[in-house]
Amino acid sequence: MSCEQHLNTQSYLDGELDGTAAAAAESHLNSCADCQAQAAATADLSDALRKVTRYRASDILRHKLTKQLDRESGRSPAKSFWVGAASGGGLSALAAGFALFLLLPPTAATLSQSIVDAHTAALTGGKTIMVASSNHHTVKPWLAAHAGISPLVTDFADQGFVLTGGRTDEVAGMRAAVAVYRHGNHEVELFTWPDRGAHLPESAMAKGFRTAFWKMGDLDYAAVSDVDAAAFQKFVGLAKAQRE
Amino acid sequence: MDDRRRRFEAQALPHLDAAYNLARWLSRSPVDADDIVQDAMLRAFRAFDGFRGGDMKAWLLTIVRNCWLSAGKATKRRGHTPLEDQELVAEGDPEHSAIQQGTRRRLDALVAQLPEEFREALILREMEDMSYREIAEITGTPIGTVMSRLARARALLRETARDCL
Repeated sequence: MSCEQHLNTQSYLDGELDGTAAAAAESHLNSCADCQAQAAATADLSDALRKVTRYRASDILRHKLTKQLDRESGRSPAKSFWVGAASGGGLSALAAGFALFLLLPPTAATLSQSIVDAHTAALTGGKTIMVASSNHHTVKPWLAAHAGISPLVTDFADQGFVLTGGRTDEVAGMRAAVAVYRHGNHEVELFTWPDRGAHLPESAMAKGFRTAFWKMGDLDYAAVSDVDAAAFQKFVGLAKAQRE
Repeated sequence: MDDRRRRFEAQALPHLDAAYNLARWLSRSPVDADDIVQDAMLRAFRAFDGFRGGDMKAWLLTIVRNCWLSAGKATKRRGHTPLEDQELVAEGDPEHSAIQQGTRRRLDALVAQLPEEFREALILREMEDMSYREIAEITGTPIGTVMSRLARARALLRETARDCL
């Protein structure tokens, strides 16, 4: 790691740069072998770190916390939704029901809703992009490292849809990779997540956003945008036709 | 349940696992992590009226880290439980093969061995998706230091975890 720009490259790979800073870092990355090696190594490491144990608060701890807050609020034990299985048969059964629910693939309605929600939340939060790049060689490995899946990512700039970056998001409780495109003043997003045998929704329009869903390989894809119908159809066609 | 309590639970509950994960990785002990999180949630609840928007998760993690620091001063560390002896809480891991478990344990041990300041930067970035600015606020260090610690943590792990990559 001899390149003096390596911290800047790291910031870029971590999605900390935008605008001209990101563009400068990207053009440096494209011409610096040291930083390309760093990018590859960082992606591999990030991949490995997803295997590291994520510890979770136990039901016993949740129960203790509820008790503690009860005392603090100076009240008799309240029925708190913090306590899951730890407090009695009824709640255990409820918790078991939820666990079962989580194992089932999401319904079509949940998926439709979830895609539009994720898209609008990102738009209103101004957080559509975590890694800014027009280079699919940068976006694809970033998504692979952060979302744990390897979606197809192609820049359709020649067809009017400019790849601007990517992020990770959640769709009905599943981690999804999102490739972000710009079409005029509109954003078009392509979500990808592992197929769990869910029945995918029909193409639809909700709250002013069009959605389309399809399966390819072992992944589910969804496009979402507020562009007009013709442009949306065109994008979906391009996205469906992309190959490795 | 009163309104304040309800709001606190609604906003803090989603981050309880993150709080616990950070406490566990900082203290490297399940017993200490329990104590730290209890202490942190109580302090957070008491200070909740002073929380004026901003990122709830970063706010909670800051309190967790402070509680870990003061717990460390009080007990002067009990030494950490070797990871082999701890119950491993695997995240939705369908295959559970022996090899995967082996890799997980090895990676866990390597991360646990990182020096504190590198370990916390890495956990906050790679597991909790905190931005540099948030990590700087949580750990009370300048952003430049966060960047160099992250780079150092990654470089160290690339060396030691070579066979897992």
